[in-house]
Amino acid sequence: MAMTRDEILLEIQNVLVDALGVDEDEVTPDATLMGDLGAESIDFLDIVFRMEKAFGIKIPREELFPAESLLSTAEYVSNGKLTPKGFDELKKRMPHSDLSAFAADPSVNKIGDLFTVDVLVNFVDARLNAAG
Amino acid sequence: MRGKRRIMKFILIDKVVKIVPGKEIQTVKNVSLSEEYLADHFPTFPVLPGVFLLQGLIESACWLVRETENFAHSMVLLAQAKNVKYKSFAAPGMNIQYTVTAKTIEENISSFAGTGSCNGEPIVEAKFSLRHFNLVEKDSKFAAEDAYIIENLKERWKLLKGM
Repeated sequence: MAMTRDEILLEIQNVLVDALGVDEDEVTPDATLMGDLGAESIDFLDIVFRMEKAFGIKIPREELFPAESLLSTAEYVSNGKLTPKGFDELKKRMPHSDLSAFAADPSVNKIGDLFTVDVLVNFVDARLNAAG
Repeated sequence: MRGKRRIMKFILIDKVVKIVPGKEIQTVKNVSLSEEYLADHFPTFPVLPGVFLLQGLIESACWLVRETENFAHSMVLLAQAKNVKYKSFAAPGMNIQYTVTAKTIEENISSFAGTGSCNGEPIVEAKFSLRHFNLVEKDSKFAAEDAYIIENLKERWKLLKGM
């Protein structure tokens, strides 16, 4: 099923409005899920479920939101920052994101800022185009 | 007669720092490694769940309402939360300062804006409204329950205010 980025963004806006109770105009491409839209742990489950239904794809939660499992793995985190191993793992799981700013200070407190609406669009875009 | 029963299992604020009835309340919460839910959230990276940060703001507002209306209602509950933002994680050892400002406090509804921060670093912010009522309004047989709950709340308030 081929969808343009704009069509994907529209669907994702609907998903986030329903899951987070935010207004449509708050869901801009660079809005962060936690910092701007108020998503937290429980919401990620809901978002994944709704995206699966919206796009007809299976999404292991790990794949879309790797932060939780990364932060729970001892060798990836040290003194509040991602270790080099942790950062490599993050890059592998978020191949379409620009992590250069984060690389300068890979503080776990900043990891939330990486998860923007655009990341969700990228994920679905890659998935749908790989399948097509 | 019922035995001593606690009314709320979790308390997400530790102390009231300042209160201006009808207007504002400031509270603090110290995040402790011994909070049971941290064991799963997350095993090697314990942080206070976002909903509990929001709960800290809500509890602060609830006490502002109770003090302002002189404990008129047993039930002070969240009606709606919006524009919730989680800016940073709250980890064990951190002291969270909550400031909640009332936009309006009426007899049965109230609305607030609140923030939580640690040493000036923003952690959480939200706008929300509460609704307040007594169980007896739903069913007259609940008068005793209202009284019991209000009695317990007054006891808890003494602990929080540090009297």
